Order: sequence, then C-alpha cells, then structure tokens
Amino acid sequence: MKLTKTLLALAALWAAGAAQADINIGISLPLTGPANGLGIPMQKGIGLWPASIGGEKLNVVVLDDGSDPTKGVQNAKRFVTEKMDIVMGSAATPVAIAMSDTVAEAATPHFMFSPAVLQAGKDSWAFRLPQSNAVMSHAMLKHMSKLGVKTVGFLGYTDAYGESWLKDFQAEAAAMGVPIKVIATERFARTDTAVTAQALKLTSANPDAVLIVASGSGAAMPHKAIIERGYKGKVYQTHAAATRDLMRIGGKDVEGAYVVSGPCVIAEQLPDAHPSKKVAIDFVQKFEKANGPGSRNQFAGHAHDAALVLEKIIPMALKKAKPGTPEFRAALKDATETMGRTVVSHGVLTYSKDNHWGFTTETGVILKVVNGDWKVE
Amino acid sequence: MAARTRWFLFFATLLALLPALPVPEFWITQLNYIGLYATVSLGLVLLTGVAGLTSFGQAAFVGVGAYTAAFLSVNYQISPWLTVFIGLAITVAVALVLAAVTLKMSGHYLPLATMAWGLSLYYTMSNMDWLGKYDGILGVPAMTLFGLSLASGRSYFYLIWVVALLAAVGVVHLLDSRTGRAIRALKGGVTMAEAMGISTYRYKVLVFVLAAMLASISGWLFAHFQRTVNPSPFALGKGIEYLFMAVLGGVGNVWGAFTGAALVKVIEEQLQDWLPRLFGASGNYETIVFGVVLVIVLKYAPEGLWPHVEKLFARFLPSRQRVRDWADAAPLPERSKPQRGELLLDVDRVRKQFGGLVAVNDVSFQIRTGDIVGLIGPNGAGKSTTFNLVSGVLSKTSGRVRFRGEDVSALSSREIARRGLSRTFQHVKMLPDMTVLENVALGGYLRSSAGTVQAMLRLDRAEERQLLREAERQLVRIGMQDQMHELAGNLALGPARMMEIARALCTDPALLLLDEPAAGLRHKEKQALATVLRQLKGEGMSLLLVEHDMDFVMNLTDRIVVMEFGTKLIEGTPAEVQASPVVRAAYLGTEH
Amino acid sequence: MDFSIASILALDGVTNGAVYALLATATVLLFAVTRVIFIPQGEFVAYGALTLAVLQTGQVPGTVWLLLIMAAVAAVVEAVDGLRQRRPVGLVAKGAVLTLAVPLVIATVAMVAAPMNLPLVVQALLTLAIVTPLGGLTYRLAYESLADATVLVLLIVSVGVHFALTGVGLLFFGAEGYRNPSFWDERFNAGPLMLTGQTVIIFLASAALIVLLWLFFERSLYGKALRATAVNRLGARLMGISTVQAGRLSFTMAAFIGALSGLLIGPTTTVFYDSGFLIGLKGFVAAVFGGLASYPMALVGALGVGLLESFGSFWASSFKEVIVFTSILPVLLWRSLRDPHTEED
Repeated sequence: MKLTKTLLALAALWAAGAAQADINIGISLPLTGPANGLGIPMQKGIGLWPASIGGEKLNVVVLDDGSDPTKGVQNAKRFVTEKMDIVMGSAATPVAIAMSDTVAEAATPHFMFSPAVLQAGKDSWAFRLPQSNAVMSHAMLKHMSKLGVKTVGFLGYTDAYGESWLKDFQAEAAAMGVPIKVIATERFARTDTAVTAQALKLTSANPDAVLIVASGSGAAMPHKAIIERGYKGKVYQTHAAATRDLMRIGGKDVEGAYVVSGPCVIAEQLPDAHPSKKVAIDFVQKFEKANGPGSRNQFAGHAHDAALVLEKIIPMALKKAKPGTPEFRAALKDATETMGRTVVSHGVLTYSKDNHWGFTTETGVILKVVNGDWKVE
Repeated sequence: MAARTRWFLFFATLLALLPALPVPEFWITQLNYIGLYATVSLGLVLLTGVAGLTSFGQAAFVGVGAYTAAFLSVNYQISPWLTVFIGLAITVAVALVLAAVTLKMSGHYLPLATMAWGLSLYYTMSNMDWLGKYDGILGVPAMTLFGLSLASGRSYFYLIWVVALLAAVGVVHLLDSRTGRAIRALKGGVTMAEAMGISTYRYKVLVFVLAAMLASISGWLFAHFQRTVNPSPFALGKGIEYLFMAVLGGVGNVWGAFTGAALVKVIEEQLQDWLPRLFGASGNYETIVFGVVLVIVLKYAPEGLWPHVEKLFARFLPSRQRVRDWADAAPLPERSKPQRGELLLDVDRVRKQFGGLVAVNDVSFQIRTGDIVGLIGPNGAGKSTTFNLVSGVLSKTSGRVRFRGEDVSALSSREIARRGLSRTFQHVKMLPDMTVLENVALGGYLRSSAGTVQAMLRLDRAEERQLLREAERQLVRIGMQDQMHELAGNLALGPARMMEIARALCTDPALLLLDEPAAGLRHKEKQALATVLRQLKGEGMSLLLVEHDMDFVMNLTDRIVVMEFGTKLIEGTPAEVQASPVVRAAYLGTEH
Repeated sequence: MDFSIASILALDGVTNGAVYALLATATVLLFAVTRVIFIPQGEFVAYGALTLAVLQTGQVPGTVWLLLIMAAVAAVVEAVDGLRQRRPVGLVAKGAVLTLAVPLVIATVAMVAAPMNLPLVVQALLTLAIVTPLGGLTYRLAYESLADATVLVLLIVSVGVHFALTGVGLLFFGAEGYRNPSFWDERFNAGPLMLTGQTVIIFLASAALIVLLWLFFERSLYGKALRATAVNRLGARLMGISTVQAGRLSFTMAAFIGALSGLLIGPTTTVFYDSGFLIGLKGFVAAVFGGLASYPMALVGALGVGLLESFGSFWASSFKEVIVFTSILPVLLWRSLRDPHTEED
C-alpha cells in the first residue's frame, strides 16, 4: 500500500513535471500514552487548519508517538525520508527532544509543541510554539510574590519536562531577585498511579506553596494526593495542566488552584489592550464551534498558532524556492527567524536567529480554578 | 551444492543488491527493523524453540546492549566497534547471574521468572539518572567503518543484515553438531540427556547466554540506528512481541525467526495505518490483532508458519539427505573393557524410601563381565526404581553401588555414564525431530569434545564425521542401517527401542541397562531383539535387563534376580527360578 | 520516619494490598481450576472501573459492545462446530440462543439505563452485570479448545488475550483517564490515620470475598469438584464433573472479582485503559507467593506486596517497581524447588 502510494506519487510528479507541489507537513503527536491529554486537543486544532496556504495545498500527516521517544524518533525518521518540508511535534517534551536530532540532521524546520530545552547549539532548526518554562515561571513567580509566598515545594515528573521546570523556575527566581526558594523536591514518573509517599514528605516540609509539574489528566493525581494529606497552602500548576481534564478528574480537590497559562484559554476575560485578544477570541470561537462549548484548550491554541505562523512563513519561503527542495526548507527556517512580531492566540511571537523561543514574559496569565471553571487572577 | 544452500545464497545476494537499487526508502527502513528484530527472535528460537525454555525477557537484554553502546559512545566517545564487546561482556555477566536464579526453576515458573527480571531490568534502566531515566540518552553518533559513514539507512542495512545472517548461519551450524544435539536434548526433560552424560544445566546456561548475546548485539545495532535510546523499547510488551514473532514464524526453526519478524513488522505497519482509520480514532490497535492472531496460531498452527512455507516450496527444497562423507573417518577411541568374569557391578544393600514407603528394600546382587542378568518381578516390585538407583537417576536412602571397583553411590547419572554404564528407558526417550542417525550420535557425546565456538565456525567437522561413523556402526550392529536418515518420530515402537539400544551402545559402555526393552513389541520384533542381545553378549557386552516377558527372559539370560515388594526374593539360573515355589507364589499366589 | 508517617504508609500499603489480594485470589482460583495463568486479570479491573466511569457520563460503555461481539462470535463458533459434528440443527440453534440470551438482556438493560443517570450503586451493579459474563466468554473463545494443553501454552495464550483486551480497552474507552466518585464519602480519624469510607469498603469487600472463596473451595463439594478438574481432567469427567462448565464458571467468577476490584479502586486512582496490567501483575506476584494454590498465603503475599510498594516508594520512590519485581524472583525459586514438578514430556 505504502509502496503503491509512493510509486504513484512519484509517477504523478514525473508526469506533471513539478508544476503544483504540495507542502508536506509531518506531525508527531502523543495521541495515546500519558501525554495524550496534550496530543488529542492539538490534533483537533490541526483539523481546523486551512487546506492551502500561499496557493499551495497543505498535505498534513499526523502520526501517533504514544508519548514514547522511540516512536517519536521513528516517526521523525519516516518524515525526513519522505522529504517532508516541515516536521512538527511532539507535545511531550522528552519525545520532542528525541526527535530534534533526526530532524536537524535532515535540515528540516522543526516546530515543537512543547517547551523543550535542547543542548546549546542544537536548536538551529528547532522552534518552540509553547511558551518556555522560564517565561511561564516569570508570571508564576510574580503572582507568588504578590501573595507573599516564600517557600515552595516541588512535585514534578522525573523526565525532561519536570527537570527543566525545576531548573528554569529556580533560575528565573534568582534572575528576578525574589526571595522564593524551593525547599523540598519530590519526583514521580508519568506512569505512576499514586504519589502518597512523595505527598507525605512534601506536606511534612510544609512549604507556603506547592508547585506541581505534570501534564494533562496526569496533573490531577498529584494534586489530589497533596490535598488528601491535608495540605492547606497554595497549589500552583504549570501550563501543561491548563486543561479541563484537571477539573474533570480533580473535582473538588483542585478548587482554588492557580494554573499558569497562555491567554487563549480565557480569551473573553482579557483586557481590550491585550494584543492577542482578537486572535484568541477568533480561535476560541472557531474551536468551540467545531468541538462544543467549553472545549477550548491551551494545546489546541498552540496548534492554531502554528497555522498562523505557517500562514506567514510559507508565502515568504515560496518566493525563494519550491516545496520539496532543501532550499525551500532552508527558506522556511530563515522566514521563521525573520518574520518579526507575530500576534497569535497565546501572545506575541518573535523569533530571531538567536531566540527560538519566541514568547516574551508578557504572555503568562495566572488562572484560578473557581467552581470548576477558569477565572483570571 | 545442496539446494538449500543455493537458495540461501540467492536470497542473500538479493538482499545485498537491494540498497543499490532505487527502492523506496521505506522498504529499507522496514528491512532494517526486520533484521534487528530477527536477530533477537533468533535467540528465542534457540532458547524457546530448541531448548524449551520460554523467555519473555529478551527485550531487557536488548536494552543492556543498547544502553551500553549509547552511554559509552556519548559520554566517553568510545568507538562503537569497541562498545559492542563491552556490551556483550556486560550482557554475559548479567545473563549468568539471571541464569543462576532462573534456570534452576522448572515448568511454568521459568517464564514467570523471565517476566519478573524483564520488568525489573526495565525499571532499573528507566530510573538510573546516568542513563537519562525515562528520557534516555540522546545524540548517539552514527557508526563509521574505516572512515565511511554508516549514517544512512541504506549503508546501515548492510551491517544489520551481515550480522543477522551470520548469526543465523552460526545457529544453523550450532544445531547440527555435538553441542546442537545436546541442546536439542534439553527439551522435554533432562533424564535422558543426563544419562547420556550431558550436563543439562550447563547447556541451559549456554543457550540462555547465547540468546542474551544475540539480543545484546541487536541492541547495539539499534542504538546506532535510532540515534537515541530510551527505555520504552525494552519493556515487557516488547519482550512478549519478540516471543510472538518467534512463535508466529515457527519457534523451532531458524528461518522461522526471520519469517516471524518480517510478518509482524509488515503487518504492524499496515495495521497502524489502517486500523485508526477503520475505527475513526487514533491509537495502537494492532495489539488487538496480534493478540487474536497469537491465540489462533497456538490453537491451529502451534509449529508456526515456516513449516507451512517449507511445505509450499517442497518441490524446490528437496528434503535434506545427509551426505555420507564419513566412511573414511578415524574410529573414536574406545575405553578399556573389563576382562571376562571380572566383577563389574556390585549392588550392596541399596535402599530407597519415599517417606514411609520402602520402594527398594536392601537389595544386593552382582554382575560379572559377560553376564546377561535379568531383573524380574510382579508389577510394583521396584525393578525400575532399582534401575534408577543403580544408574544414578534417583538418589539412594542407603546402600552402596560399586562399578568396576569404584564406589559410584553418590555420583550423578552423568558421572556414572562417563564411567561406562549406559541405559535405555521404559518409555522411549528420543528426539522425534532428529534423524535416527543423529539420535544415536547423541550417545557419542561423552566420547567427543568439540565446543560451541568450534561448532558455529564449522571447525568440528572432522570429529563430527568420526561421531557419525560411530553412530552408523552401532546401527549396523543392530541391523537398522537402512533407516539411518529416517526421522526418529516416524519409527514404530520396535525400531525405536532398537534405536535407543544403539544410542546406548554409542556411549561405548561396559555395562548396558535395558529397561523393559521388549515391552510393546510384536513377536517378530522380540525375536529380532533377542538376536541382537545375544549377539552383543557374544561380543562380550554385559547386560542387565528388566522384563516382564517370561519367554524372552528365560531364553536370554544367564541369571535372574527376582524382586517382590522391593525385596529380593531369590537369585539363580532360569531353571532354578522357574522351579522356585517362592517365585510362583509371588506371581500367582499361594495355595491354600 | 516517625510513627505517624509509618502508620500512614502502612495503611496505604494494606489498602492497596487488599485490592491485590482480590486479584491474587482470582488468579489462584483460575489456576486451581483450569491451570491457566491468567495474566489479563488486570484488564477486567480496568474494564470495571472504566465502565462505571462511562456510565457516570450517561453514555453506553464500550464493554457492552464487546460483550455482544464476544457472545456473537462464541455462538457462531459453537454453531459451526455443532453443524460440523452433525448434531441436530435444533440443538445447535438452541445452544446459540442460550449463548446469546443473557448478554443480549444485559446489553439491552444497559443501553436503556445508561442515559437515565441512575444512582451510583445501581450503576455499579450494572457494571458488574456487564463485565462478569466477559470472563466465561473469554474462556470459551480462547482457552476451551486448548484445555488439555500444557501450562506453558496456556500462559502464552494468556499473553495473547492480554494484548487483545488491552487494545480493545483503548478502542472502547480512549486514551484518557477516568476517576470514579467514591462510594462512601465519610472520613474517619483514628489517631494519625485517616480512613476514608472507600478504604473501609475495600477492606470489607476483600475480606468477605476471600472468606467466601475459601469456604467454597475447601468446604463445599462443588468447590472441590472444581479443583478436581485441574488435577486430572479425565478423572473429573469420569466422575461426572463437567470440566467445560468448571472452566467457564471459574472464569466468570474471576471476571466478577476483577470488575469488583475495578469498582473499588476507581475512586482512589486515575484509571487508564492500560492501568490494569501492572495492577494485575502485582496481584499475580502475590498469588505466586501462595504457590498459585493457597488463598491465605496469597493474602499474606498481597499485603506484603502492598507494604513493600508503599514503604519502598517512601525510601526510593523511583525504584519501587524494581523492588517489587525483583523480590518475586526468590519467591519463584523457592516455590519452584518446593512444589513437585514432573517432566512434561
């Protein structure tokens, strides 16, 4: 089947003589496995992408990586051997990191759906669509110091996501000069079903606030564990937990929690002066029309933003080269780095040659869980 | 050149040409993965299919190999051509430790143990900080061979398939050798193998370590192929999948490993494309199909699919007739035989108690060289138990056994066999998938010495020819040389018993123990057996046989020992025994 | 670690251990009657929890469809078999109808009741009704024709069934996790310990079930008859014990226990479609401790596993699985050396 498809495609290309070429985009998402709460909404967001940009048809292939770095690499290999123009993914940080080498070696632009921290010098082809942990920590730390928090207990994944949050949080606190210290650190695996021991140790340390670093529906379990241990302080969650799954599974126990998020989730509550308000409302309306009211989601927002970025860079690159060529891929990379201020539903993206993170510290918004719904702080 | 070898070379050449042709990259990647998986499944064919030790934990060994390669090349920049040996060394060490624990278990406990340490190793690898925990190790460099980069799929293809095919050829060679026969004897029970002098534990460990090494090499290749290593491909699920590949392809056959790996990979790929579309939701649904297929295969085709492939192509693959090239081989060295009349076996008040039941009650008798002694008695008299005590299969509660002057009471059946005592069994224990000649050659184990490496490199051919010549000689001795190349499983009971005798003779024994050799034989077959035994006696062989057929025993033996309820009743010539009222009472009851 | 922390951990361990004990008894039960080492026991647990979760949302759970599909396949297979053996058509048809009857009734009730948002207890009973027949059907489809095979072959079949059921779970329940509401929301304080109502229910249910099963198999004639089928199938059949019925019944019981366990753990942890495997595996570790034969030993083993896990995760949280699964090796070795094992030729 694959062979026939490929042969037919080759034959068609030959015959038509490279007249109209599709833009091939390969996307690896965690549609199953512990990170599926991030992947599934993104897939839904991708479903709302335009069919063509700049006159060229978008040929989007979405593969499941099961939150598994090995599968992510296999998907990436498949994409680069089929000479895709752009590779996107994954939403799970460890998977995105694993994919980056393969995609970078093939000189293909790699848009990551997670705030993956790569080794120095290794991210020349990789761009992150979500806000970096440093940027989100900034918003969180500001809120914490407003509430007078001095000590923080950390309960997070033992993988790249958890580790990078811990590092970035502490680094940002030092950079901001706020007197907030992490006094207890507990870790757990994505697949763990209970964190009783870790919760016990944290509550006996009794910090002013607990920072939970987990994603999707997995963020509810540690939260409940802390509350069940009788912890009475403030609980903060990261932007990977900004999903209704948190309330659905967490129930009463997550009431009053603070979740840092991009602005798109509470589009209507944004002040009019906020640059993203219009785009965010547009995203929310489009998404909820297709998927039902209240289905809006941090991660679907990233998918929407990806389309906005593509709408900017593809016409720029088409001027320089044809799709399917290495020159096109290099042109896409240059275009992303030079596209300037781009307003997206999550804030304002500005990539540059040295900065492949894009978002500034203005993008983080603190939401509070009130009566099972989000309220801007 | 044999037809099979020709076909093998043909396919190998085809594979070698493939990357040079403009085939889609997708094919190359698929074949690369198939080669990697087949290497692991090959180990399983050896471990599970041939030796009968089911293992679900091979994926963990793949992980050991992969992590060693990744860790050393990323952190210490050690060349992959060195890390493979380091990885193998570590794997062997781990395998030896696990073997010591696992292989002492029997039955269904063994696969459960493999599951346990498979999980244990997986979680250990996933939680080590210096191995990157669940994220693993990234940025593993591509391999280079004398400056040529093997980064692309096409160039790596050669490395993977050279390794896979060499491994396959090595295993094929191994199975057709002295070591191979010993390994094949492991399946279905250790008694016979031990009686032929084979240390079954040692060979179980050998096979276990070999399978682990194959998995480790696959892991090394995998690490430099994927360029990142994280724990998920080494989880229990993958271990089960490897076994599934072997079972589907045909777990008893080397080429079954390749068939299974190819089928599973190709079907998996197609299912991953089609099932989510069929169900309208994304996810790995191919496990459903695999699970159902596994159950169906076990129900309807437990030998796997390769035997069916073989049958399909039977026209092109004539059955492998062994070429008779051993006519001029040197004879094997024979042990010094005792003089006629010399005391050969001295059984001195042996006793076996099972709790309160006394199965053998202080039985004593002697056998001199050149005697044929019969051991008779009603059912449940303890004859076979006595046999097992003498040959070392059962341990004694008390008493001594001396063989050729040496006290062998505490020795295992292996050790006793080494000293020149060989036996047959009440229920024929043979290997139905091997030919008659190969079964008999199994008896020559103790008289040969070629090891595993020699076997795999085919350096053992000279000794092998000697062994086969000896085996043929024994078959001629009992008159079965025409059925030399017949599969032992196709034999009727009579010829099978004769084959067992030939096998026992192949050990060059001084004393032969025959456990009900005439049981289940027809009249003509019994006559033929009696002729053979008389002929052996004429050649100076000493025999001890247990029998129920009175005609047979009375006409054949010099002396008879009669047992009843574990106790020796009388001992004497056939005439004396026939006349004895005690014996009559034991068999027929007393007169009132 | 002070006493209060130790007691909290101990309570946690014993609570988990109680659930493992239920699974261990199901495993022992199945092995004792059919010689099947039933790895997929955990899947029934997941199905139980997830079925209730879906009923809670007012939709018809996928397990209903699974039930109908399996019943249909079983009916067809039996009908084909019966026709091939030239049994009277009327009898074959009757057999097919009987196979389909109960599942059809349950399915209809479920489809009617699902959107009605009935009270939690009723939905729980409905869950039990839906998942329990899956056990007998699994036996019919996968194991019955292989009933005389070696334990090893049956073990590999179990692995295949595990794969299939996990995949089906993904298909019907999706990849998201669910948490069920607690059956009893009370909280009791006993010193430093806090017992939730759910914990109390877990203890009571486990204890009751274990005692009942022990009484059934040790003291009742029918229970002994079931055990006889594993010891010697032919002998049992000659005594008039239907080995087929024994197999189906024991699998049905195991599915019931699995579903019940799922209901019990649903509120305490987020259940995903693949959560069952690890839970089932730990229950299995406990069963092996009992030599796959003794219920009281399995209970001890289960409590041991729960406590090992709980304290292990306090001291070395990332290595708790390693501890649990490495500790089974000496147990297996001990059991293997102790239990007599004849060579299976």
